[in-house]
Amino acid sequence: MNAIRDKYAIVGTGKSRLGQVGATSLGLLEEAIKHALDDAGLKNNEIDGLVVRGPDDLYSHHQLVAQRLGIDVGFSTSLDNGGASQILAIILAVMAVEAGMATTVVCGYGRDSWTRTHASPSAHTNNDLIPAAQRPREHGPEFGHFGAVSQHAFGARRHMFEYGTTREDFAAVAMAFRRHALRNPEAVMKKELTLDDYLRARLIVDPFGLFDCSLNSDGAGAVVVTTVQRARSLRQKPVLIKGFATFNNTKGWIAEDHMISTAAVKSGERAYNMAGLGPRDVDTAQIYDCFTYMVLTQLEDYGFCKKGEGGAFVRSGALGLNGALPTNTSGGQLSEAHVEGMLQIVEGVRQLQGIYGSDRQVPDAEIALISGHGGNQVCHSTLILGSA
Amino acid sequence: MAEYAKPIPVPSIESKPYWEGLKQHRLLMQRCDDCGKFWFPPSLLCPHCTSDRFTWSQLSGNGKVFSYVVYHRVYHPGFATEVPYTVAVIELDEGPRMLSNVIGIAPDRVVCDMRVKIIYDDITESVTIPKFTPA
Repeated sequence: MNAIRDKYAIVGTGKSRLGQVGATSLGLLEEAIKHALDDAGLKNNEIDGLVVRGPDDLYSHHQLVAQRLGIDVGFSTSLDNGGASQILAIILAVMAVEAGMATTVVCGYGRDSWTRTHASPSAHTNNDLIPAAQRPREHGPEFGHFGAVSQHAFGARRHMFEYGTTREDFAAVAMAFRRHALRNPEAVMKKELTLDDYLRARLIVDPFGLFDCSLNSDGAGAVVVTTVQRARSLRQKPVLIKGFATFNNTKGWIAEDHMISTAAVKSGERAYNMAGLGPRDVDTAQIYDCFTYMVLTQLEDYGFCKKGEGGAFVRSGALGLNGALPTNTSGGQLSEAHVEGMLQIVEGVRQLQGIYGSDRQVPDAEIALISGHGGNQVCHSTLILGSA
Repeated sequence: MAEYAKPIPVPSIESKPYWEGLKQHRLLMQRCDDCGKFWFPPSLLCPHCTSDRFTWSQLSGNGKVFSYVVYHRVYHPGFATEVPYTVAVIELDEGPRMLSNVIGIAPDRVVCDMRVKIIYDDITESVTIPKFTPA
């Protein structure tokens, strides 16, 4: 048996206010961390590790967060793997504790994307979320190519071409997550989404329309990681870290077959191996849903269905609360709020703690698989959690 | 002629020969002196074999559309009158993939794997960008 499996636990979770908040990313992260510490029954001076991510233009982000928390720490850093960072934070937390560098680590992510893009009339089209010095200056913008929507849409188009996947398949993902969101009072989206709504919505970058794209949100999430041994004296029933992995298809999103067979393939295999589990053991999945298509392809890549059969799988109703694989049960980034995968981790933990009423609780949830995807569309991370 | 309103590419030290080639209506990329393969975008080591010996060499300009998208949203004012327009991943016959536009065909008639050939768009007196059109 793997020496790390079941040795570490998540002992507290927290979210900030979500959506159109009007706040700074650091302030939102403070809110989320406060809630996570309260949930765990811990004080700031009991935290000796911090792994966080924020907007890409905040230099030494982790130092700013620790200063606000009023803590000196044995281990802290900020991450730069986009949406794959948040699970990586938990992996680094485990590694730091395993190495004796810390005992109790806060992992979190905060963003103020809505506030920034609504700061002025021109802010929305100025692509303000990417620091100017980090924007490409050749091999893209001259063709009118900007940002993540079209990068992912290349994958969606090729998948449609190779496997006959349709926009109706993508709609099934968006509608399933919206139904989850309607049962989550914290979710930003409050209105039912029909196939008609989906198909009539404006196209952004074809094949993606408005409802294929995740939300532009303010928000933050945080979790506390420590040893199972230490967890026994804390407030919550710990949720066990059973397996994790990362894999990065760093040759590039447009290289080889990466856009239709993502790094989730290898990240998933490695995490399953560490956990001693496979896709059939997973009771609920919390999948990084920056775009509808990314859910469909990751479900294939994680082995929940065969490559090319993701469309049929999502249309079968599998993603619903009583489906074969209840997925993104808080509404995900498409309908709860886009906090770069951090809320997926929080939701996975809470489902395994069994804290919800029957309207939101995945029945008998014992194993959750959580994914992170990001960077230049090539970084991937996987976390497999289990109830204690 | 009105001033060119779209982003004008800014060459890096490494990509300068690529842009110089385009100005002469030649598609040049680095070809490894050891393994013979091409690569793009420009960098100092061959990503196939890590050799640091290469020669800027001309490509045929022929390839296929590996994938494509159609922009409906305006992300830059220079494209306000251009939407909907096609941005594609072009797979060149010599191997490298690159981003470009597919022009001379309605966006809804573009398909994956369709054959295309390069055309050179002289956007200013000193800058030429590569676009593709059905072969």
